[in-house]
Parts: sequence; structure tokens; C-alpha cells
Amino acid sequence: PKKNVSWFPQKYKAAQTVFNIDKKCQKISPDGKAKIQLQLLLHTGESTTFHFANGSTALKDRDATKELLQQLLPKFKKKANKELEEKNRMLQEDPVLFQLYKDLVVSQVISAEEFWANRLSLNTVEHSLSNNNKQEVGISAAFLADIRPQTDGCNGLRYNLTSDIIESIFRTYPTVKQKYAENIPHNMTEKEFWTRFFQSHYFHRDRISTGQQDIFSECAKQDEKGLKSMVTQGVKNPMVDLLSLEDKSLDEGYGTATVPTTSNSSNKSLRENSNSAIIKRFNHHSAMVLAAGLRKAEAPSDQASETSSTDGNSRDSDFFQPPLKKVKLQESIEYDDLQGDSGRQTIALNLKKSDRYSHGPIPLQSQHYTTSQDIINSISIIQHEMRNYKPRLTQVMSSNAASSAITALSPGGLLMQGGGQQTINQLVPTDVQSELKHLYTAAGELLRHFWSCFPVNTPFLEEKVVKMKSNLERFQVTKLRPFQEKIQQQYLSTNLTGHLEEMLQAAYSKFQVWQTRRMMRKT
Amino acid sequence: MIPKLCYFLKLLVFIILNNLILKLKLNIDGLLVYFPYDYIYPEQYSYMLELKRTLDAKGHGVLEMPSGTGKTISLLSLIVAYQKAYPLEVTKLVYCSRTVPEIEKVVEELRKLMDYYTKQTEAKNDFLALALSSRKNLCIHPEVSALRFGKEVDGKCHSLTASYIRAQHHSNPSQPVCQFYEEFDAVGRQVPIPPGIYNLDDLKDFGRRKGWCPYFLARYAILHANIVVYSYHYLLDPKIADLVSKELAKKSVVVFDEAHNIDNVCIDSMSVNITRRTLDRCQTNVETLQNTISRIKETDAAKLREEYSRLVEGLKEANVARETDMYLSNPVLPDEILQEAVPGSIRTAEHFVGFMKRFLEYLKARLRIHHVVQESAPQFLKDIYEKVCIDRKPLRFCAERLRSLLRTLEIADIADFSAITLISHFATLVSTYSKGFTIIIEPFEDRTPTIANPVLHFSCMDPSIAIKPVFGRFQSVIITSGTLSPLDIYPRILDFRPVTVASFTMTLARTCLCPLIVGRGNDQVAMTSKFETREDFAVIRNYGNLLLEMSAIVPDGIVAFFTSYIYMENIVASWYEQGILENIQRNKLIFIETQDAAETSMALEKYQEACENGRGAILLSVARGKVSEGIDFVHHYGRAVIMFGVPYVYTQSRILKARLEYLRDQFQIRENDFLTFDAMRHAAQCVGRAIRGKTDYGLMIFADKRYARADKRGKLPRWIQEHLTDGSLNLTIDETVQLGKHFLRQMAQPFRQEDQLGLSLLTLEQLQSEDMLQKIAQIAQQA
Repeated sequence: PKKNVSWFPQKYKAAQTVFNIDKKCQKISPDGKAKIQLQLLLHTGESTTFHFANGSTALKDRDATKELLQQLLPKFKKKANKELEEKNRMLQEDPVLFQLYKDLVVSQVISAEEFWANRLSLNTVEHSLSNNNKQEVGISAAFLADIRPQTDGCNGLRYNLTSDIIESIFRTYPTVKQKYAENIPHNMTEKEFWTRFFQSHYFHRDRISTGQQDIFSECAKQDEKGLKSMVTQGVKNPMVDLLSLEDKSLDEGYGTATVPTTSNSSNKSLRENSNSAIIKRFNHHSAMVLAAGLRKAEAPSDQASETSSTDGNSRDSDFFQPPLKKVKLQESIEYDDLQGDSGRQTIALNLKKSDRYSHGPIPLQSQHYTTSQDIINSISIIQHEMRNYKPRLTQVMSSNAASSAITALSPGGLLMQGGGQQTINQLVPTDVQSELKHLYTAAGELLRHFWSCFPVNTPFLEEKVVKMKSNLERFQVTKLRPFQEKIQQQYLSTNLTGHLEEMLQAAYSKFQVWQTRRMMRKT
Repeated sequence: MIPKLCYFLKLLVFIILNNLILKLKLNIDGLLVYFPYDYIYPEQYSYMLELKRTLDAKGHGVLEMPSGTGKTISLLSLIVAYQKAYPLEVTKLVYCSRTVPEIEKVVEELRKLMDYYTKQTEAKNDFLALALSSRKNLCIHPEVSALRFGKEVDGKCHSLTASYIRAQHHSNPSQPVCQFYEEFDAVGRQVPIPPGIYNLDDLKDFGRRKGWCPYFLARYAILHANIVVYSYHYLLDPKIADLVSKELAKKSVVVFDEAHNIDNVCIDSMSVNITRRTLDRCQTNVETLQNTISRIKETDAAKLREEYSRLVEGLKEANVARETDMYLSNPVLPDEILQEAVPGSIRTAEHFVGFMKRFLEYLKARLRIHHVVQESAPQFLKDIYEKVCIDRKPLRFCAERLRSLLRTLEIADIADFSAITLISHFATLVSTYSKGFTIIIEPFEDRTPTIANPVLHFSCMDPSIAIKPVFGRFQSVIITSGTLSPLDIYPRILDFRPVTVASFTMTLARTCLCPLIVGRGNDQVAMTSKFETREDFAVIRNYGNLLLEMSAIVPDGIVAFFTSYIYMENIVASWYEQGILENIQRNKLIFIETQDAAETSMALEKYQEACENGRGAILLSVARGKVSEGIDFVHHYGRAVIMFGVPYVYTQSRILKARLEYLRDQFQIRENDFLTFDAMRHAAQCVGRAIRGKTDYGLMIFADKRYARADKRGKLPRWIQEHLTDGSLNLTIDETVQLGKHFLRQMAQPFRQEDQLGLSLLTLEQLQSEDMLQKIAQIAQQA
């Protein structure tokens, strides 16, 4: 469809919202062509072509659209991919769900969207949990170097910025981001901002700040401050604290080491100054990159953590110092190969379902690991007891009573009845069993959808409840009936599906009640 | 029933084995040594044998054993066993280490040993072992301990605990004193500290519990402790040793661990530098003294008179015992201190201040020069006598006299008087020693000839002077380190006759260190930090390429050392210009040592963090710097060390030249030999930082073609030299990368204890086998 440029802004917004998930890539017509077009390729395989038709400005508009989309594209791409991945993962990890998916979606009982609709939201809790453990992609330390300036032939330099690089800059240097937020768009255009950025001494670390009008000189100052606060905070690990390394330093004036005396910055050459500036900046840069990699994604949003994160580390002074020091000391005197096996370090298991792990088959003995001393003790105790063992024959049960108790406790005995349900295992063949299981899960899923519609208080839910009811009916016809016929053919007791039908019936009657009530309200 | 039986049988066997193998009791040459580990390295056994022989002979020893082979625990195990077996022969172990973390590590190892003793013998531990450190590390006073710098802590402590302050407190309770010291002073000395192992934190805890000052408690407790762990200065710096270590028993064994720099510590403790600023501050000090004297004369003349009569009678030592008065003791060695009364010319306070004034004026005049002057102590004394008629004898008493005066005047803030104290020490030193010292007056720094910045260096050139009393006083002194090669040089420069000199190699089940000498770049241009070519563009680029290539193949951490700070700055700048650093950043984060210790600590911690989380990082650092001396890069913190160039000292320094001359004349050590020795011990220190044990591994890259020469190579420690093959002597960068890759791939394979057993790790049983004992005998190489 061709769109007119005159209502482009609104249309653009719409495009953003509509396609925000499915867009795959965009194509533009080559510059020389008469028709100025923008084609969007969607994940579903469809493509939409926008034709920019208002002559002179068409090209410009197209480019503007393109650029905006370009910035948005990676974000949505990520999102779309992530969702697909997530769904895929869920299906792969959960065979029950996969079966359900096959039963309901592939056989077109409900649509895929309906299937996922509250699946995903249901999993968000778990989802975000597992997301937290996921590693953020770090920042390349050399991202500034990736901005290769190219000469454009007429005494100018071109820097190519990608959204990745911009993000890296922002994440590493929050002050630049702040500047960006302050100045864009009312003070300068984005292009101007970045031009200034590349011109600033801030970008070129070897240039000494000349203190001129430069919006980034403040950034530099902030960095300096951050660095200083990092330094004054000191280090957590006492083993690397060079300040407290030496026990008793010589008093001033003693020793042979050529003291740096008065040669402070005053008589240092400009070059020396710039050299040490480079070194400082490298340390700072690396620290910031490292910190940005470690920072949690949500951290920069609130102000409090922003301030603590600008200096690259947030820690609460030396509150934890003593234990850390102990640990580090112990670590440094440990010889793991001189030690026996006891000192071997183990990696903690990261279990999703710990109960499944701990309820697995466990040999009886390993449950209580006893030390050798315990065992020796217990052996001697047992020996001792055995030596002193005297049967007290007067207080023993009579043999009749004993044997009757044993019979009562044997399978089929008086106290062992009520185990009749077990027989279904033997009665019903396994394939029928598994089919029944699938039916149960599918029905359960559908019923869950159905019941989640109540109380029906929105038109959307009304629509849904009607649809779900028809889904249930369809399920009964296409799935349940054939199954019932099958077991009848095999002469199995038909009450296998009785409970399923009861559940469906309950749903129908609920639906009936609801519908009559609605009719009454309408009339 | 049967499986259960099997299970019990297995358990039984296990129990029996446990009792047999777990933890070792060794028979070292007839001495029962408890060794708190399940296994032992062969070289540890060998080390203990040599150590035992040294102790038996009541002589001194020089022992080189690579770090990471459990030197400390071997030392402690043997000496403790010796102390237990012959309590009358060896009464005390004085263990000197260099840094605070090292000291704490030693105490922790000792704790492990002692725990093992109590477990094995089931007797109550009756050993007292403790660490001693400066006030900064031991103070628990809430206000004082909050101060950041050691000097501030010392000063504040003095202002609360000095004897006259406490006297004032008696008459005027509002005068603040330190309640912890008061408490200690009241009861702490009567009740001995219970036996046990006290690290710095333990002392603090104990002090807090009892309300006693841990510092003075420790100072007092070292006198009867079985083991004392503290830093070199407490023994080697006469100014401090006299206060702290004077009363240590003669029958002590003294160990200097990490002793490869011990000569420099000795020299530093006896050298003095005087700048114009020192003199200016001294001037202020003199004026303050003058004013105080005249004020006291009006109010409390008796005090001065009392001091005078005390000095007449030669009772100068009467007050020294007051431990809290923090006046540095006499800078000269105890046997040089004159045991007579202070000469009349400086006995009264005014006379002495006048005398100091004259001396000060003379020094000022000496600093007003335009050319370099170098003279000996006798020349200086002659000149001062001719110019201002100052005699040698009153000069010798300067330090004593000033100390007495400061005490009499009840000066609260001693730190303010550091300048005049320094001058008085200089006076005493220059008039006491006629040999082994030199005076160099430089009008400006070499780098900045236009800026006048005169300095008078009074420099000790003979390390044996400071350490001589230690050798003389204690029955056994052990000098040990991972890098003491060539072994014969230490006895020569420290002027002592050891009974054992031995170097131990590291027995390895796999060659976990890989020393490589890179001599040229891929363009065949020689790589060297030689003075003439070090600014050469090609050299710098090749160095950069080497680092770049290594950053691509080495996992986790790389540490690179440069020969000097300025050199590193220049190289980093030109790497930056050439874009080499950017390319390196693609592989690893870069951290760089700066001249600011706090900044470097931060960089260091970040570096470790980056290694820890898998990003990998490079640390650019400086040989002879703090990092190269005090920080270990175990395991992934240092998978490769690159030594850019040969870390020679700055040879243009006049002090160094004077020292070299002295070494040549006195000890017949050729200048070049000493310089190379010094450079190589620092290079070895640097590369040795990466290998801290047998399970560790790392590349050691010597990036200078000069390392390939026999005179350099031969001065590396034996445990490194052994692994330098002819094939790795003059490599190009490409060849280095190939060898490195191969090495790292091999090392990354799992390495288990079983691989080591019998080769580089022994059980008691293996240790007792005949051929193993023969093998062990080869580990130690007698020099």
C-alpha cells in the first residue's frame, strides 16, 4: 500500500506500534530510482512497501524514516527474537507443554496466540528470575577504537557511529549520557552533539584540557572525581592494598631512594603531563568498562544507584573487611596439592527443581555419612551391647499373636486393603494410559482458559468465554469421543473418562448459568 | 548383608590408611618434625635438612628456594620442632618479613602448624607466637586508629601516651590520655598474655576484650614470646631496633624471608638526604626550641638545671626505658654509641641550640653550590672544623642530646621536629663512621639542570654495617628467598660467613614454567631496552606487537614489567599514538601502575576483578616498583609475565657510582657484575610473581636479547635457568607465540594430584624409600 507523506508522522507512530514485534528488516530503493520507497520485511513473511510521493522532500523524509527505524529496529529485533526463543525454549524444556501445544494448537483447537496468551504472563515470575541470572553482554574495551575516523576527502573526518557504539559510550560513561539527555534535542542536534564529542579533549585522552567552552570538560571533571572517590575508597582486598603493604616506612629524609622532592607538576614537561594523563585515563576507562559490564541492567535507572555507579564501584566501606581478609589470607597460604582430598573445592549445583534432585533414588548408606570415629564408636557400642545382651523371654509376644500380626500386614492382609486403585495400572494398557494423560492435560489447559474468564466483566472476556466454550465442545467432539469409542472397542471400563466428562459438564453448566443471566440482564 | 559387610570393610581400611598417611611426622636427621600436611614436596624435605644442619652448627645460612614450594611452612615446622626438642638451645624464633600481608601470612601458617601440634600431641599449646606491626595496624583507640597515615597515628598516640603527658594527667585529669594504654600500664605487664597464636587482628581482639593497648602489649610480649613475626626494620634500622628489639635473647634464630633486597634495606636505614626544605623546617624547629627554652627558663628553670646535672653525670640512659616516648633512638649502632658524658660545650640547652644553629648555617652554606661535590666523612669533618670550628665529639652526641632536650621540654608533637631530628642524626652518623659512607651534594636534578634544587646525600654504601650487629648477636641468622642467585654474592656484600649456602630447585611433574627469551621482532630488529636504542621506534613497536600477540593467546591475566616508570610512560604514550593499545583493548582490559600507591591499588583490584570474571586484563607495571615487590599473581591472575628490557638501576646516579666503587675496592666485586646481579634479581622477582606453586603455571617472557648472554642468564635463579633451553634463547615474536600457544594448551589439561605423586609430591612412605632420599640429596645445590 502507498502511503501519503502528509500524514506521515502519525503513520510512523502506528508503524512503530504495529510492527514493533514482527519487523525483520527494511529495504530502501536505490538513490537513483524514480520511485522512492521503503520496504519493511516482516517476520511473518509479509512485506509492506511505503511509497514516498511528495516529490522534492520525499527523499529526505524517507531517509529520516529510515534512520528512525534503524535505531528502533535492533531493539525490536531483540525483543522479537527473544520472545521466539523463549517460546521455543519453553516447548523444548517442557514435554508436557509441547504435547499440549501439539494437541491444541497443531490440531487447531485454539490458535497459537491464545495458547501463549497467558502462558507467557504466567511464566513471567520464573522468567524474570532466570533472566536475572543471565549474563549481560559486556562492552568491548576497544569500542572507542572501533570508531575509525575516515577522511572524507576535503579536510574533514567522518566518524561512523552505530547504535551499539552509542550504547557502549552511554553505559561506560554515564556522564556523557547525562549530557546527551540535557542537550538533545533543545540545545543542539544529535549530529552536533557527537561532532563536539569527537572534537573534545575528552575523546582524545592525550590532549590536556584547556578549559575552554566544552560541554565535555564537565564530564572530564566528573570522571576525575569518580576516579578520586574510587581511589579514596580504597580497596576491599587487603592483599592488594599497596598503601598498607609496608609496615614501617622510613621517615622522610632517610634512605637512598631518590625522593621525588619538589618536582611536582610545576617543573614537569607538558609531555610528561600528557603521558600521565593517558595512563590515568586508561585506568579509568578500563575500570568503567568493567563496571559497566557488571552493572545490572536496571541499576542506572534510579538516581541513587547512578551516583554510586559513576565511580565504578559501590561498596559499603570496610564493613565486611575482617572476614574477607581472613578468607584471602587463608587462600594465600593454602597448598591444595599438599592437602589430601578434603580440601578440594566443589562447584555449587544450580538446581531448578531441587526436590526432584533430592528425591531421586539414593542408596540408604550414603544418607548419613559418619566419620570414621563415629563408626568405630558405634561398632564398639554395638559389640558392647551384644556382649551384654540378655533376651527377656517373659515379655515376648506369643507366637500366635505374632504370626497373625504378620499376616495382617502382608499384601492382601487385613491392614493392607484399600490398595485397589493400583490395579488400574495393570488393567489398562500403557498407550491408553498415556493418551488419557494427554487428554487430561489438554482438557485441564482448556478448562483453565475457560475458568480464567470468570468473573466476566469485560467485553473481551465475554468474547473469550464464548470462544472457550466452543473450544471445549470441539475438544469433546474431536478428542474425547474418539477416545471413548476406542476404549469401548477394547472392552475397558468406560468410567475412565467419567471424571473428564464431569469436568466438562461443570464448565458447560457454568456457561449456561452465565448465559441465561446475561440474557436476563439484556432483556 | 554382604554389601554392608563390604562397606564396613572398606571403611575400616580407610580408617587405617587415614591414620597412616594423613599428616606427616617426619624424621629430619634425628629430629621429630610435625608437618601439617598430608604430603610433602621433596624440596621441602631437603630444605629442612639443610636448615637443621645450620641450626646444629649454630651458624648462619643462605637458602634459596622458589616461592610456592612451601618455604615458610618448612621453616616454621623445623624451627618449632627444634625449639620443642632443644628448648635451651633455641629460645626464640624471630621471623622477619617485608610486608604486612606477608607477616600475617606467616602467622596464619604458624597457626596451622600449632593446631596440628595440639591435635597430634593432645597437649595444651604452651607456645606464644605473635606478630608485631606499627601502631597504625594495631591501634584500637577509636580516634587514633581512624587516622589514615602511619605518621599521624604515631603522632597522635604519642600525644596521648608520652610520659610527661601522663604525669600532667595526674595533676590535671582533664588532660586526655589513652585509656587503653593506661589500662595496659596498670595491669598488663603483671598478667602474661596466655599462650597462643596472635595475628594482628587477634591482638586487637584481645586488646579490646581486656581494654589493653595491643601495640604496647605486643611490644612487651615479644620479650618472652617463643616466636615473633615482624618486619625487617625492627631489627635492621638502629633507630628502631634499639627501642624494640634490644632485649631479644641471644639464643634466637633470626629468619629474613624474601631477603633478596636486604642489602637495600640496610643501606636505606643508615642514609640521610637533606634538602633546602629540610633546612628551612629545621630552622623553624630551632627557633621553636629557643622560644620554649626561654619560656621554660622563666617558669620552670629547675627542669633545665636537672637535665644539665643529669648530663654531667652521664645518666643519659636513665629515661630511655620509657617505651611510649617515641623519640627515634640513636641512628648509629649500639656498639658505636659513646658511653661517656655529653661534652660540656653542648650541655646546657642554650648552648646546644646555638650549636645546632651553627651547624645548620654551615649546611646551608654547603648547599649553596653550583657544581656537584663528593667527599668522604673525614673530609666533611675537616671542612666543618676549619669553617665553623665544630668539633667531631659534640657532633657525635647530637642525636642523644637532642633527644634529651625534646624530652625535657616536653614537646608534644614529635612529628613537627622531624627535620631537626634528621639533622642531628646526620651529625651523629657523619661523625661516627669514617668508612662506608659518602657525602654527595648535588645542586640540581639531572633531568632539570635549570632548576636549583640542592640535595645533600649522606649515603651508606656498605650494607654490612647495619646488619653486622644482627649477625654478631644472634646465634643463627637465616637468609632466604626465592631469588638469591648468585648465592655467593650475599655473604660477600653482607660480610658474613655462612655455614650453609644452598639453592633448591622446584621438582615438577610437569614443566609448569616456560621461560622464553625474545630477542627480535618479526622484522628481525633486535629487541632491547639498551639505553642507545630504547627510544628507537622499531623497538617500541616490536614491544607493542609482542604484547598484542600475547594478549590474543594468553587467557586471563598478563603482567608486563618495564625497567622504569619514565620508560613505561613513554612507551605507553607512543603505543597509544600508534593505536597499539586500542588493538590490545580488543583482547583485554588495560590497567597501568602509577606513581600514586592508592591509584595503583585500585587498578590492581580492578585488574584482579577483570581476571576473575573472565574478561582478562593486562597490568603494566614497573620492576622495582611496589607491585613487583609485594603482589603475587597466582593462577589466572598471571598466566604470562613479560619483562620488557633488563631492569638495570639508573646507572648515572652518583650515589650508585659511589657504591659501585666501594664494592669494587672493599669486596672485589666488579661493577658490571653487581649491576647485572642487581638487574637479574629484579627481573627474576618480576617473572617469579606468576608462579606461586606447582599447580600454577605461566609463561615468563624476557623481552630483551641481552638475556640470552651467558652472564645474564647465569645469574637467574636455578629453578628458572633449568627450564631455559637452547631453543628458547633468541626467539622472534612469532616463534614466541607458537611456543606459548603450545605451552598453554598443554598446561590447560587437567592436572591431578596423582600426576604429581612420587615425583614432585611425596607421601611419607615414598619419602622413606631409599632412591627417593638419593634423589632428594640432589635437589639442594651447594654453592
